Amino acid sequence: MSKAETIIELRGIKKVYQMGGHALEALSGVSLEIGRGEFVSVMGPSGSGKSTLMNIIGCLDTPTSGEYYLEGKNVAGLTFDQLSSIRNQKLGFVFQNFNLLTYATAWENVEVPLLFNGKNARRRRQRITELLEAVGLLDWKEHRPSELSGGEQQRIALARALANDPPILLADEPTGNLDSKSGEDIMGLLGGLWKEGRTIVMVTHDDRIAAHSERTIRLFDGQVA
Amino acid sequence: MIAIFFRNLARDLVRQPLRTILTLSGVVWGTFSVVLLIALGESVGASQKKSFHGMGAGIVLLFPSRTTLPYQGFKSGKPVRITPEQAEDLMEKVPGIETLSPEFVWSRRIRYGKQEFMNTVRGVNPSFERIRNTIPAKGRFINPMDMAERRRVCFIGDVLATDLFGRDDPIGKQVLIEGLPFTVVGVMAKKEQNSNYNGQRDENCAFIPWTTFAALYGAKYVSNIILRPLDSGRSAAVTQDVKGHFSKLAGFDPKDPDAIFVWDTLEFEKQFSVFFAAFNVFLGAIGALTLLVGGVGVASIMMVVVEERTREIGIKLAVGARRRTILVQFFSETLMIMIIGGAVGFALAAGVIKLIQGIPSEEFAEFFGEPRLSALVVASTGLILLAIGAVSGYIPARNAASTNPIEALRK
Repeated sequence: MSKAETIIELRGIKKVYQMGGHALEALSGVSLEIGRGEFVSVMGPSGSGKSTLMNIIGCLDTPTSGEYYLEGKNVAGLTFDQLSSIRNQKLGFVFQNFNLLTYATAWENVEVPLLFNGKNARRRRQRITELLEAVGLLDWKEHRPSELSGGEQQRIALARALANDPPILLADEPTGNLDSKSGEDIMGLLGGLWKEGRTIVMVTHDDRIAAHSERTIRLFDGQVA
Repeated sequence: MIAIFFRNLARDLVRQPLRTILTLSGVVWGTFSVVLLIALGESVGASQKKSFHGMGAGIVLLFPSRTTLPYQGFKSGKPVRITPEQAEDLMEKVPGIETLSPEFVWSRRIRYGKQEFMNTVRGVNPSFERIRNTIPAKGRFINPMDMAERRRVCFIGDVLATDLFGRDDPIGKQVLIEGLPFTVVGVMAKKEQNSNYNGQRDENCAFIPWTTFAALYGAKYVSNIILRPLDSGRSAAVTQDVKGHFSKLAGFDPKDPDAIFVWDTLEFEKQFSVFFAAFNVFLGAIGALTLLVGGVGVASIMMVVVEERTREIGIKLAVGARRRTILVQFFSETLMIMIIGGAVGFALAAGVIKLIQGIPSEEFAEFFGEPRLSALVVASTGLILLAIGAVSGYIPARNAASTNPIEALRK
């Protein structure tokens, strides 16, 4: 494992939720480093803080305290809208339940992050074609999610995650809703992306899926075990 | 980008057609009401004003009456008497008068052939034509020669002309007024007149030179004087000067408020304008409230829409949408509903206004005038629509933009 450069660095990240008067510490001082090009899986029992950690790494949530360096820049104190362009361009999300826009076609789903990035029509068309080809679903571009199988939907979601060519992919139980064959397909695609040099952080509770990664970070009670 | 915005918008609106139609109908109805109420309010005001001007635009009427204060040994109640010569002399004595006419008003029998009527005869001077808008349709009004020679000529109202002559041309014919022959020199053009004083409306009157009137009937004192000030803004001051002048001639206390009764149509018109402006604001407010109900409907539907689309919003936020982008998306969706509904409402109102304009009834036209989509109507409706749209769009849009993406994605 060569750690030439750190792409994600967390230092003493705490996340405290106020729930009906008493504080609930979801993360109690997490520090970790992920190198560029690493494939890391995050594991831990439910309630261990996996989701909170992924939300913070994914810039959907901000820590109560601590520092988060993304490509060397501290993003812990940024506002939601400032984090929007980071989510759009630096991070790609793959969710357990796909989270596709149900009324939109495969093509339009992949287009969404490109629209928020202000790409013109010609470049969008070119990029969407490339991406759908890469996941093998160009012929299904006019189909809506309801007309696609789970595996196909997750491949569309993966194409969307890659739309703005982000260096980091965040996958939250990417195979959790898939049969094993489709799951293997997705893991194959993720593996290919990793070999291309992308950094992948994946949450899973399945040891066989975690085995695809280089390193496993285990969380327990809001701390790295 | 804009094309995609409209495509998505169309899809959002079409996705739930019944809901869209119901939402739209509130806005359509509201807009329709606002446009129609304001347009009708405006045209009723305009037609009443025009009709009011039928009696004469910007004029002051002075009615010599009785004193109400004791003056120089006379008890109150002494009649105030003013001769037509004294009245015409005002032009010299009181500055600021454009023109005036004294007026004798008596009821006389008027006869032509077998037709005889008891109608109002007015003894006036040639200025009367301009002051009171008694424009000839045929022939001419009384002229200075008629005055000087006390000619027995008359100018008659259009209704009286029809009553006496039917379809015949009255010009040059002789009518008998109290048995004495008068030559008809002119017939008044039809006009709308909703105000009057002393006797019948002009359409039923016969007008003769006051000099002739005085000579034939022995009339000495005028029934009233009508005058038009040079500057309509100074009508009150001119009226005061005239009263002051007459107080010396006729012997009454210059402070006596009622020795000469004054009808200042200019003052009246000011109040009239204020009343109609208030009336229009009132109608506009009713319309706006109706539209507000539509707006509340739109807002509540949009709240439901936002709730339903929480996941979509969460997804968009996750892949890089700013909160502002989401705000704009939902805000413009509401505005589009308002614009579409407004356009349909406008079109319906325009159609109804066209229908109203086509109504052949003269009574209707006299009261309602000619409603139309004036700049005032369009501008005020547009403003009301925009204001209500902005409020009913902002609240749901703000809710949408404050969606927590983490919770939204978990759904």
